[in-house]
Amino acid sequence: MIKKELLERTIDQSAHPILEKAAEEHIETAWDRLEAQEPQCGYGLLGICCRNCAMGPCRIDPFGDSPTRGVCGADSDIIVARNLSRMIAAGAAAHSDHGRDIVEVLHLTAEGKTLGYKITDEEKLKRLAQEYNILTDTRPKEEIAKELAEKAMEEFGMVKNTIQFAERVPDKRKDLWKNVGIWPRSIDREIVEIMHRTHIGVGADYANILLHGLRASLSDGWGGSMLATEFSDILFGTPEPKETSVNLAVLKEDMVNIIVHGHNPVLSEMVVDASRDQEMIDLAKQKGANGINIGGICCTSNELLMRRGIPVAGNFLVQELALITGAIEAMVVDYQCLMPSLPSIASCYHTKLITTSPKAKMRGAMHMEFEPERAYEIGKNIVREAIENYENRNSNKVNIPKNPVKLIAGFSTEAIIKALGGTAQPLIDAITAGKIRGIAALVGCNNPKIKHDYNHVTLAKKLIENDILVVETGCSAIACGKAGLLVPEAADQAGEGLKEIAKALGIPPVLHMGSCVDISRIMNVAAAIANALNVDISDLPVAGAAPEWMSEKAVSIGSYVVASGIFTVLGAIPPVLGSKNVTTLLTQGLNDVVGATFAVEPDPEKEAELIINHIEKKRKALGLTTPPIAAPM
Amino acid sequence: MKNVYIKPENCIGCKHCEVACAVEHSETKNLYTAISEEPLPASKIHVMPTFGVMTYPGKCMHCDPTPCINVCPSGAITKDPSMGTILINEEKCIECGMCAIACPFNAVSFNPSWRISIEREIANKCDNCHERITKDLIPACVEACKTGALSYGDINELIKKERRAVGRTAAQFAAAVPIEEKIPALLKVWRDMALSMSQVGEKI
Repeated sequence: MIKKELLERTIDQSAHPILEKAAEEHIETAWDRLEAQEPQCGYGLLGICCRNCAMGPCRIDPFGDSPTRGVCGADSDIIVARNLSRMIAAGAAAHSDHGRDIVEVLHLTAEGKTLGYKITDEEKLKRLAQEYNILTDTRPKEEIAKELAEKAMEEFGMVKNTIQFAERVPDKRKDLWKNVGIWPRSIDREIVEIMHRTHIGVGADYANILLHGLRASLSDGWGGSMLATEFSDILFGTPEPKETSVNLAVLKEDMVNIIVHGHNPVLSEMVVDASRDQEMIDLAKQKGANGINIGGICCTSNELLMRRGIPVAGNFLVQELALITGAIEAMVVDYQCLMPSLPSIASCYHTKLITTSPKAKMRGAMHMEFEPERAYEIGKNIVREAIENYENRNSNKVNIPKNPVKLIAGFSTEAIIKALGGTAQPLIDAITAGKIRGIAALVGCNNPKIKHDYNHVTLAKKLIENDILVVETGCSAIACGKAGLLVPEAADQAGEGLKEIAKALGIPPVLHMGSCVDISRIMNVAAAIANALNVDISDLPVAGAAPEWMSEKAVSIGSYVVASGIFTVLGAIPPVLGSKNVTTLLTQGLNDVVGATFAVEPDPEKEAELIINHIEKKRKALGLTTPPIAAPM
Repeated sequence: MKNVYIKPENCIGCKHCEVACAVEHSETKNLYTAISEEPLPASKIHVMPTFGVMTYPGKCMHCDPTPCINVCPSGAITKDPSMGTILINEEKCIECGMCAIACPFNAVSFNPSWRISIEREIANKCDNCHERITKDLIPACVEACKTGALSYGDINELIKKERRAVGRTAAQFAAAVPIEEKIPALLKVWRDMALSMSQVGEKI
């Protein structure tokens, strides 16, 4: 690969001075490590190596010479299908284990065994309880919460044998899932069954292996992830629009800077509470700081942003750069998407890297284990560590970028309905009238193979220009936040129709709906619109995109979005091209099975065209006419 | 003289060089599209098992004098005077196999090629990535090798470096200090374990 110019790596302006600082200080980042890895292994890129047993490792020659089968006899179709399914298993496991942790905290809180947590959204608690047929009248909320949490725990086991939230989809979709044999039975069961089916000598039909992969992904999208979202709302409140700022400039010169990074809000909520404790603020002042400043990275950031309006320092590829600013007293991490490079970079500065989950310890980091029973106390201890580290900050090594960008987040399904005036009807009317041609969900990670944030932002801009409402979560939402698209004024960049609707409602043309488990919110919106129109989700003018994806979680997400009937475009190439049959199944054949397919398109302009064409096709099938687009000046 | 230098003790048999070679010599020069080309591109380097778990990436060594040039009846093989690279003119090759017979390294295979209009199998061997070298790039197999089994440069310089390593080892021995491993420690552990496994297999 031709060596990329340093500043060509990202369009995040706040990252530019820090990339230069990293180079000056000889600190290696993900971009440098990618260069060292290139050219990457062709067998791995094509998905045709198998390490599932000790007769191997085996690989298939992509150039048709020998070998064409592994030692067990698996051909490229089977190997690719097995590998892809295992990626889904890992992704679904990560989301669902996050969900499980939230359910456990709600259960303990209902029993009065936690310190710092409470049932914040009682209305949602009751609504969910009714969905589970739990008696809500005349019962204290703790009792309802305890029973609800226990019912949710059953979703992980094998007694109940069905996922409750899957009932939210239209009847047509339910029938389809049952007929195809992919109705999700239980969160853990489907994941375990992937591992079984892909063990040596079990599944040898690539389509059958992949269909089960879809089933497991549904147990994530309509199970584990959805539980994580809904139960976090009960504990910490259902998000409402909040204004704050984003990019590395949210760090403060004169304050104790704490970065919370990872995915689960349970501990970081307590860190935020502790940072507002007068005792802690006094201590910070005593140490010469003007206060305590919390900034977020990745989805822990999105969780706190949605509910608390906590500023966002950046998305996945910014985590190392945040440390390199030299201005962070403590980086507190929970789990998922934490680069193992963090301890060595933190050690170049005064920064304390604090791990909190027994599932994600790091050599070279300080470990302060999260326990829900004394969470607030632990939160305070963490904040105290950061404050006491403030005096160790070396101002010669500090560079805080300037110019943070304003953004508005907090668009939960409930908040969107509220913004629409209490019902989804105005949105449906706008879609019917063609003012909004459709909805596109932009989700997923950053990937150093793709210019940081460029694909997310370019795609979002192109879609809103074409009157497509963009809803976002995860690193995609943070990217568009940094690019200034998450403010109502960005409606000026939208086509006439979308601009009119967004201005009337006072909302941005790109809506931040939360963390990556909150893609479940998007699924709920899609199901609600389909139910209101009495059609299947696959009939709607909607599409999904993961323009810069990299994680196994993203594979599970893409799979449940497609299995739910939504066409999805991937910006990075998944490791499947080593099998023509699997590639054809994913990009064409699935249409006959679940009414949607994947597409792969690394160019965001072409990605936009694919989505626009798909939305137009769906509009036509629904008998909706589209007025001509008047592009913004 | 610049050439690819092979250090077999560092080869772990990953075949990464083979894939990189086939892609580099394909029509589209892109992994994802090369696998669908007709005819499929063929690698010019071949990773072979040798003793136990030891593998060796075999290729044309661009020797001089050059037996294949001497025996080629159609004049298809020539030497590039500036680089010392032995090149095959695919249009002139008559598939007789004389070069393969004469080659001391058995480096010549016969494969179809997208470069010629008629469908036939012609002599295929390493061209030292002639095109890449003119663009100041190193050969694709060397770029792909992550274990240091393949390196590219002035052969005297590369050998000098290896000679120094041997010298250091010998000197350490003489000075009675622990001997520096010639290969990375992890690779040695892996190789020792794999070797004893293969020996168990041989006994059975």
